[in-house]
Amino acid sequence: MTVSTLSTEAVIGPDLARLWKTRHDKERFQLSSLTLLTPAFGLLIILFLIPMGYAVYLGFTNLTLVGPTSVQWGYTGLQNLSRLRQDTTFWSSLWVTAGFVGGSIAGVVVIGYLLASLLMRARTWMRVVVGGVVVVSWMMPAVTAGMTWYASTIEGGALGTLTGLHNTNFLDNWPLVVVTVANVWSMTGFSMLVMGAALRNIPSDAIEAAIVENASSWQRFRRIVLPLMRPTVIAVVLLTALLSLANFGLIYIMTQGGPGNSTNILPLYSYQQAFTYNNLAYGALIGNVMVLIATVFGVLYVRVAAKS
Amino acid sequence: MKLMKKGRLPGAVAATALLVSGLGTGALAASSAGASSKVTISVAYAADTTFDTIPLGAKWWGAVQKEFEAKYPDVTLKLIPIAGGEPDFLTKLELLYHSAGTSPDVAQFPSTEIALYESSGWLMPMDKYLKGSSWFSQYPTVIQNEGKIGNHIYAVSAGENNNGLFYDKAILEKAGIKVPWQPKTWADIITAAKAIKKAEPKIIPLWTDAGTSAGPNGAGYGILNLLAGSQTPTIQTSSGKMVVSSKGLLETLNWYHEVFADGLGAPISDLFSENNAPNIPSALFAKGQLGIAVGANFLGGNWTKMVSFPDWPQAGKAIAVAGLPKIYGGGYASTLSGWDFGISSHTKDAQAAAELINVMQEPTNMIEAANWAGWVPPVKSYWSNPEYANFAAPFNQAFGDLLPWSTELPASANYSVWVQAIEEASGAIAKTPSTTGAQAMAQMKSFITNQLGPSAVVSLPQ
Repeated sequence: MTVSTLSTEAVIGPDLARLWKTRHDKERFQLSSLTLLTPAFGLLIILFLIPMGYAVYLGFTNLTLVGPTSVQWGYTGLQNLSRLRQDTTFWSSLWVTAGFVGGSIAGVVVIGYLLASLLMRARTWMRVVVGGVVVVSWMMPAVTAGMTWYASTIEGGALGTLTGLHNTNFLDNWPLVVVTVANVWSMTGFSMLVMGAALRNIPSDAIEAAIVENASSWQRFRRIVLPLMRPTVIAVVLLTALLSLANFGLIYIMTQGGPGNSTNILPLYSYQQAFTYNNLAYGALIGNVMVLIATVFGVLYVRVAAKS
Repeated sequence: MKLMKKGRLPGAVAATALLVSGLGTGALAASSAGASSKVTISVAYAADTTFDTIPLGAKWWGAVQKEFEAKYPDVTLKLIPIAGGEPDFLTKLELLYHSAGTSPDVAQFPSTEIALYESSGWLMPMDKYLKGSSWFSQYPTVIQNEGKIGNHIYAVSAGENNNGLFYDKAILEKAGIKVPWQPKTWADIITAAKAIKKAEPKIIPLWTDAGTSAGPNGAGYGILNLLAGSQTPTIQTSSGKMVVSSKGLLETLNWYHEVFADGLGAPISDLFSENNAPNIPSALFAKGQLGIAVGANFLGGNWTKMVSFPDWPQAGKAIAVAGLPKIYGGGYASTLSGWDFGISSHTKDAQAAAELINVMQEPTNMIEAANWAGWVPPVKSYWSNPEYANFAAPFNQAFGDLLPWSTELPASANYSVWVQAIEEASGAIAKTPSTTGAQAMAQMKSFITNQLGPSAVVSLPQ
């Protein structure tokens, strides 16, 4: 049998063929949409791009909070950037930030998952009570969480009393660990809620099938639960990173970045430069570095969110 | 009410109050009489940090407002109390100064800020308003010069803090030290602290501030007093460079090393406490847990019923004051850090602002401020005034007598970095007592050079 090849135009005619060739599965650009987008663009420019651009510019000036350069200040080129490169306190602060954010991510994800999976198996009343308590710790303002943890971890605090180590000052001896644990404590509620919702969405027949196939609980977790929860875990990781990176209040209240520079994360160092040492411009530059780091996490989060 | 309290003062002082308030009073009354509408001037101050308690501060400023408005009915005084700790207060005040529209006509700020504010163009010279002022002429020269930049006066004192040694007489006697005690050298202090440790092992032998928890002022109540008594006390050279290593710094940090390496210092839980560390010695003394303290004059006032930190009526008998000796003797050493009043260069009514300062400088107001804020009043004759001397006897008068030994702290933008570094160095020794003076000084040098750049620092011979 011979199969003849006919063009689309020949079968349905040129007008319909043109319509047929138009892709409907791709976004199309219409010039008129610009008019509708203008107000949003305007707000974006006024409320974000201009202040952000100004902050970037300030990072390259000699503006101070007090003194002659608080009145007459100007562009100083790459001077601040060169200083930043050689600033050992900045690099140590960057490492402290990495430790704080990394520790917070690990704690928030693991404890959030454990709490969520335990609550899945718990009785309803227990789920409500435990869930409620954890969520309250999440909703607590940083000032309250900071004060609570400060009072609990200094010498004679609740932690010393509970562990029998009355004379141990946990906060001064292990400052970065204590502030990271406090941050984990304050953010686990959010992680637990999100993980709980993801766990409830895992199809029970997949788990049941695995049980029938004699899969161990570790295998079920690794092969079924974890892959299905991957987008949620990544979202929690990225949001925890972003929120921890901006968590100025908690550490400021507990240690003000001390003792020494042991908890001096970047937001605190930026504040210290701008308002303790009066170097507004250099503080702005450190703030810009934080924006860059946050942007990386932000872009990753948006990409993960779009995929899922 | 402030004016009703005048009756408590001896008549002579009350009479002086009327006399000394007189710079330009008539001028303002005349100018105000002709005014068609009421003038409003503002005064900004720290609501939470200058006075010993917040209600005492509110009471003092409320009384000043009432007295000023009664005296000058055509002028309204707007109070701008600024909340927060000292660094927060300074930031908020500086932001107010950034705009002529929000700049307060008068402000109260620490003496270490005067030069910075003047260089920012925020303060106006007060010379013409001080001519003929009886209270300013009674200031000791060191306090008159506190607000002097070039040939002009930009701020006048509200009260001063100086430092000395407090000691528990009974504890020293138990340790075999004869009281009254006046050490002649730094070594004498260490010897006494060691004797206390031997006789009373559970008692903290010696308090001297360390670490950063008390903010920039913490060093002024602790380590900088030692530096002031060292062989090279210079913090900033005449060319403006910050000293990052010197014989004096090494002597001071070595002394700290000796204190903490021998277990004579306070625990870091107290030293690093965010909760008002410089005032902790007054609580420890009251509990009989502290032998000696390098401390500020305000510790004496803490034991009064009005301040109650804690209320300890026996304090005057149990605790005594000695001057902090210089390293090898030959006098005493102390830092001098005060609070001052300045008039904004953007003020709408400089005359009214000057009159407000006159009212605040009246003896009653100055003595009450000194008592309630833990200051030594700047006018020498007030030191022996019963209202001041008896408020926290014998401490208030003792610190008045020690005031002439005090030296000013530098007032420059770079000082904030320098003081952070020396606090970190002292904190490093307190936390890890094996840290030597030389190691702490090297850490300090590295931090300051890193922050300010090599051209802004200098090493003096050791």
